[in-house]
Amino acid sequence: MASTGHSTSQNDDQFTLDVTLLSEINRKLLVDAFNSVNGAKTLVLDPALAGPLGLVTEVALFKQHGVDKMFWLEPGPLTSSTPNVVYLCRPSIKHIKVIADHIKRHARESRKHVYTLLLVPRVSTLVSQILEEEGVLGDVNIGAYNLQFIPLASDVISLEDERAFKEIWVDGDETIVFDSAQALTTIQRLYGRFPRIVGKGDCAGRLAKLLQLQSPATANSDNSAIASDKIDCLVILDRRVDMITPLLTQLTYEGLIDEVFTIKHSHVELPTSLLSPPTPAGAGSSSSSTSANVSVKKESKKKHHLTAMSDPLFAELRDLNFSSVGKRLNKVARRLDENYKTNLQSKTVAQLRDFVGKLGGLQSEHQSLRLHTGLSELIVPHTHSEQFNKSLEIQQTIEELISQGADLRLVIRLLCLVSVTSGGIKTKVLENIKREVLQSLSNALKAYGYEYLPLLLALSDPSLAMLLPNPLPASMVSVPLAKYPYTSLRKSLRLLIDDSPEALEEVENDISYVYSGYAPVSVRLVQCIAQKGGVLSNPAEKERANINDDILSNSGIKAQAHPIVGWKGFEDIVATIPGETVDMVQNRGISSPPLVPMMHSERTTTTVVFFIGGCTYTEISALRWVGRQNRGRRFLIATTGIISGASVIDSIAGIGNAAGTKGIQ
Amino acid sequence: MPEHPTSSWQAMQDGNVFYRRQQMYSIPDKFPNLSDYIIAGCRYGGPLALMRDHTKLIALGKASPATTKSQIQIFSSAGEGLLSFSWDQGRIIRFGWTYDERLAVLNEDGVYRLYDLQGDYEQFSLGTEAAETGVIDARIHEGGLVALTGTFTLVEVKGWQGGRPLSLANPGLSEPPRAWAVIPPDLTISRHVEVLLSVDSTIYTVDNLESVDQRLSRGPFTHVSPSPNGKSLALHTFSGLLWVVSTDFQRSMAEFDTRSVVEADGPVRQVEWCGNDAILVTWDNAVSLIGPFGDRLQYFYNGPTFTVTENDGVRIVGPDTCDFIQKVPTSTLSIFRPGSTSPSAILYDAWESFNQRSPKADESIRSIRLELAKAVDECIIAAGQEWESYWQRQLLNAAKFGRGFLDLYDPTDFVNMGQTLRVLNAVHYYEIGIPITYAQYTYTSSAHLISRLTARNVHLLALRVSDYLSLKPDPVLKHWAIAKILKSRPKIAAVAQEGELGGDDEVCKVIVEKFQQLGGADVSYADIAKRAWEAGRTTLATKLLDHEPKASDQVPLLLSMKEDRLALMKAVDSGDTDLVYQVLLSLHKRLPLGDFFHLIEDGGQKLAPASRLLQVYAREQNREMLRDFYYSDDRRVESAVLSLEEASRATEPAAKIAAVKAAQRFFSEDKDRTFEAKMMDESARLLALQEQLEKGAEGNVVFFGLSINDTIRMCLMHGLSKRADKIKTDFKVADKRFWYVKLYALTEIRDFENLEAFSKSKRSPIGYEPFVRHLLSKGYNKEATAYVIRCDPPKRADLYAECGDWRLAGKECKERGDKGKLEELRKKCPNSMIARELDQILSSFK
Repeated sequence: MASTGHSTSQNDDQFTLDVTLLSEINRKLLVDAFNSVNGAKTLVLDPALAGPLGLVTEVALFKQHGVDKMFWLEPGPLTSSTPNVVYLCRPSIKHIKVIADHIKRHARESRKHVYTLLLVPRVSTLVSQILEEEGVLGDVNIGAYNLQFIPLASDVISLEDERAFKEIWVDGDETIVFDSAQALTTIQRLYGRFPRIVGKGDCAGRLAKLLQLQSPATANSDNSAIASDKIDCLVILDRRVDMITPLLTQLTYEGLIDEVFTIKHSHVELPTSLLSPPTPAGAGSSSSSTSANVSVKKESKKKHHLTAMSDPLFAELRDLNFSSVGKRLNKVARRLDENYKTNLQSKTVAQLRDFVGKLGGLQSEHQSLRLHTGLSELIVPHTHSEQFNKSLEIQQTIEELISQGADLRLVIRLLCLVSVTSGGIKTKVLENIKREVLQSLSNALKAYGYEYLPLLLALSDPSLAMLLPNPLPASMVSVPLAKYPYTSLRKSLRLLIDDSPEALEEVENDISYVYSGYAPVSVRLVQCIAQKGGVLSNPAEKERANINDDILSNSGIKAQAHPIVGWKGFEDIVATIPGETVDMVQNRGISSPPLVPMMHSERTTTTVVFFIGGCTYTEISALRWVGRQNRGRRFLIATTGIISGASVIDSIAGIGNAAGTKGIQ
Repeated sequence: MPEHPTSSWQAMQDGNVFYRRQQMYSIPDKFPNLSDYIIAGCRYGGPLALMRDHTKLIALGKASPATTKSQIQIFSSAGEGLLSFSWDQGRIIRFGWTYDERLAVLNEDGVYRLYDLQGDYEQFSLGTEAAETGVIDARIHEGGLVALTGTFTLVEVKGWQGGRPLSLANPGLSEPPRAWAVIPPDLTISRHVEVLLSVDSTIYTVDNLESVDQRLSRGPFTHVSPSPNGKSLALHTFSGLLWVVSTDFQRSMAEFDTRSVVEADGPVRQVEWCGNDAILVTWDNAVSLIGPFGDRLQYFYNGPTFTVTENDGVRIVGPDTCDFIQKVPTSTLSIFRPGSTSPSAILYDAWESFNQRSPKADESIRSIRLELAKAVDECIIAAGQEWESYWQRQLLNAAKFGRGFLDLYDPTDFVNMGQTLRVLNAVHYYEIGIPITYAQYTYTSSAHLISRLTARNVHLLALRVSDYLSLKPDPVLKHWAIAKILKSRPKIAAVAQEGELGGDDEVCKVIVEKFQQLGGADVSYADIAKRAWEAGRTTLATKLLDHEPKASDQVPLLLSMKEDRLALMKAVDSGDTDLVYQVLLSLHKRLPLGDFFHLIEDGGQKLAPASRLLQVYAREQNREMLRDFYYSDDRRVESAVLSLEEASRATEPAAKIAAVKAAQRFFSEDKDRTFEAKMMDESARLLALQEQLEKGAEGNVVFFGLSINDTIRMCLMHGLSKRADKIKTDFKVADKRFWYVKLYALTEIRDFENLEAFSKSKRSPIGYEPFVRHLLSKGYNKEATAYVIRCDPPKRADLYAECGDWRLAGKECKERGDKGKLEELRKKCPNSMIARELDQILSSFK
């Protein structure tokens, strides 16, 4: 029912905020940055930026603006034939040292180059300090390329910063919070001030404060002085507020692809066989394998750009629970098949080829589907065990898994999940499990088991508090609210819905469909602000009492979305979650009371939901679902990046870094 | 009623052109005898600076106190003393006014100071070269100065920001010029300053590129004076000839013999321009205005005068009055000229008739119907030209009257003129003493006027003016705040320590309140705080900085104030990590390491973000410092983790073991970390063991750096099963895990015999299903089948089927009498042969 509403809403509803504007800005800034350097240039690119840049522009644009050759920014010598060398990178110390090394090398070989360093997203003192320490500051012109939100879909914008989670909660480097504030200020400049900011979590609090501080400075003459008429609220959620959701295995189609194949910057690496069925070009382009970025291609795998813009089938599938994907595909396939048959008799060859092409695309989806089915069988049982939440059982499972030599991330994810949901693991049991982990884990990176001790320590650090012993050691008792009140939230926010057959209907009519019975805390919190009824009971169910079943989503008689009144009604529940609670009204200048006009106007407003520390594809799906339940409100999902349980664990473990150092040796 | 405007008019050129002299202020006895002083006047109705001319004799004891020191006094045009200060530096060569009404004073050593009207100054120098050779003369214009050095070369300074002096082309003089002048850069074609030197009988034109001899023969000249627009030049020879030429020396424009002025007596004092078309020549006792065609107007003053050229006329300060002489503007002329029949004159006349209730008014208006709009405009403009508010009002009223007869009329000009005149009249008031004309006001802008008012510390007026003209109050407020701070200084110094704090609080409160009240939202508190700090009021500066919303402005000042902790705090609060780095790095450079660490550690929770950023930085760039930091802060866990990181980077076994042991020590010092310590101990032991194992294997097998599981696995795979068992007991490896490891290892080397033996060594803690499954997954179906019999009975049938042994599966079902299962198998079976067999078994069920 909800799913039928879906396909129509994607096409029918004109999205009120045009996020392509952001793409344009990003592209223009890049061109300006390149044009600031005269003549032919060699571009040296931070590999971490390749993905985001691939979403912004094509290689052709680089060439148009005088980029002669491109290299990855990596240790080792650099040979450039052009007088200009342009470095484009994030301001990380490692990169800067590599650059300094290049310059010193060139100086030794007495080769003359003009060096320009473009930092993303802004210039940093740290960089000039390091360049000075390395003694090459005078040789480099430092500029900035202010890359901000990149649209991933018509309703998703992302900073595409993979390191956000780790930097904030492991390193304590909150640069991303500041950068987010800058990016959100840009949004305000384009679309007007956020009339209200509601949020939860310490970082959310800091971000909200920064937004308030920054706005008066820029409030001359541009849009940011006036309260926006398109956006009714900014919801800021700190990832720490809901650590459970990313730890779970995602069950929506797109989420599951991310779990299994890892989606990076909207690109996923798939076996070539899946992508290369004979698809005649131009036939509806259901699988467009654009390789926009300059990637070193692996032999058996190919990058595939997952986007709903060119792939309508994907748009239909991405938000579905995986269990209904098969049904949907089946239906579509049958319809196509029928079309195919009828068309076989009458139409021209050209049109025929069209259909064959579409079918081919479909087949590729089918194939990838078959893969998922196999893999999901392995994963699904764990989520089931979580749903019943018998922590003891899981603890045994974990030990069993470790003995069997299961993947590190899986083990850690489950371990954290148990800790967060049950308020810590008994000290003795935890120590045993840790011991097991340290003694056995290995295969993932051929690293040494005991070297994971820092990871375990980081997880149990109060700033993350993802893996806690029960009772807490004396040193941590003083830390306020380190424990996550899962048990009480489960009831008050209706997190778990039994997925027994009788309740199946109910599950389908609630956001918990995305996890087959578990409603993400983060999305529930958004509902607390933007769809209060949905937290208490299923909106769909309530309506069914009045109207007949199937009409409700298609007929368009949906309840008008209620205006934003902050956390009202849920203050007590929200207060139990650790972290600051934010609710501020920003109506400087024109003092239009934010409550009244919304009620009267039938206009659609947009609520921006910003995740600090990243969000999962499943949460995006769930939010889309929430958006469909009411008339007059859309969600624009903004995030620092897309994450999954695996990527979170990887980043904390510093797996990227470890690989880097290996490379140097 | 003040006397009619025309009463001050005097005709020239046979009555075609009129000049007028308006009295601005009556100033009897306000100024000392001007002939005894060297004077510099500021344009746009600005003040006069006076310094006694030491070449002249003066009677002691009268008006001026006899001092040997040079003293400069500044008076407004209304004769009000604004400032007086004494000069203790080298001999003053020249002083003059800048565009922003500061007095530039240059001495013989090439040092120049810029005094504002409050007596605060900035000091700059012309450089060492000028200091060595000395400065013998200089010309100061609004945007800079040109100095003549002791070696007769010219040095230019552009702007008043203390810019580097630039040398101009060398004119090759052997003696100082008789007279000289500069044309400011904005008035020349080249946009560079041009210097005109009177040498022998000719004039040299010097700019930064070349020195050109203009080949004149009428010199030498006593006065060289360029017009305000820089287009013409007035030259006065020793023989008394006044000669006007264009500045490119292509045209001779007028000549006049000054000796023909009979009233004159003694040498010519000044040759100044009145606007751009007449020249005022003054003597000690006479003033003559000389028109472009050699006409002359004589003015009488009963003492020496001083004249200042303005763009639209000339200001004369005499012993009793301050006058303004200008050509009567066209608009005024067309209205008031006797017998004028211009529309504006008729309009004015009509209005007067209207006032007298004469019907002539209507008639007059009708007669100029078509040109009424123009007439109204002209009345408005003429109002701006009058000094007396009475006539301003008259003319505006006439305009208003005429406006009533127009259908469509844009009142903007009218309103603006009214507003502007109110402002001008306010500043004309003698206590303010800025006799600025409307033309000068439009030339210099309203912002300039406001800055002049603030420079005189008349903040209230400045604020009202800017409010009245709808300008932002920010510059006024900023100046006011700074003045407030400087003013409150002496009072504070007198009070004791406690009072000082109170005073700071009070001043800060007053300033902040004023700003909030008047909406000075964009004033930079940081700028004000900086001045407070420069004035030595650190506490006040800090308090003011608190109100600065932009942390990026606060922090640099705090750093330079050495308010390290506060700077760090503010940077942290700003959320801008780059700012935090800026503070951290600069502190790291400046402070001893211990103090640096202390500062961060003492900050506790508030500075925690800074501390973490420092760690991020140090981890990449300065590990030595990080180690010290952790050590000094007793952070055992972090120290341990750091050691571990080093261990994982180390390649040398010995180094690695040492690092792990170090980590173990750190952990063991924290009582909450006994578990970790134990683990590290294990780790070190394992590494040692692995080293030993590698030696035993003579380098054929790599053990070092493996996990325990892998170590066991490698041992088993290389036939060291005894060692593997020992490792199991030494490291207390759980039974289950050991079994899995051994199962995997033996399968990998296909040692099925040993696997069999192992499986029988005791009852398997993991059951036998994993055996079957693992063997199956590796493709050893036959071997797997053997273990099925030892699995749980209910699972056996399925497991057999998975092994591909359908017969045994069927048999199993039969033995257990599980017909349902058998039917299920029957459905799944892969070929007909098996199907038949299963059918057979099925049929045996009864």
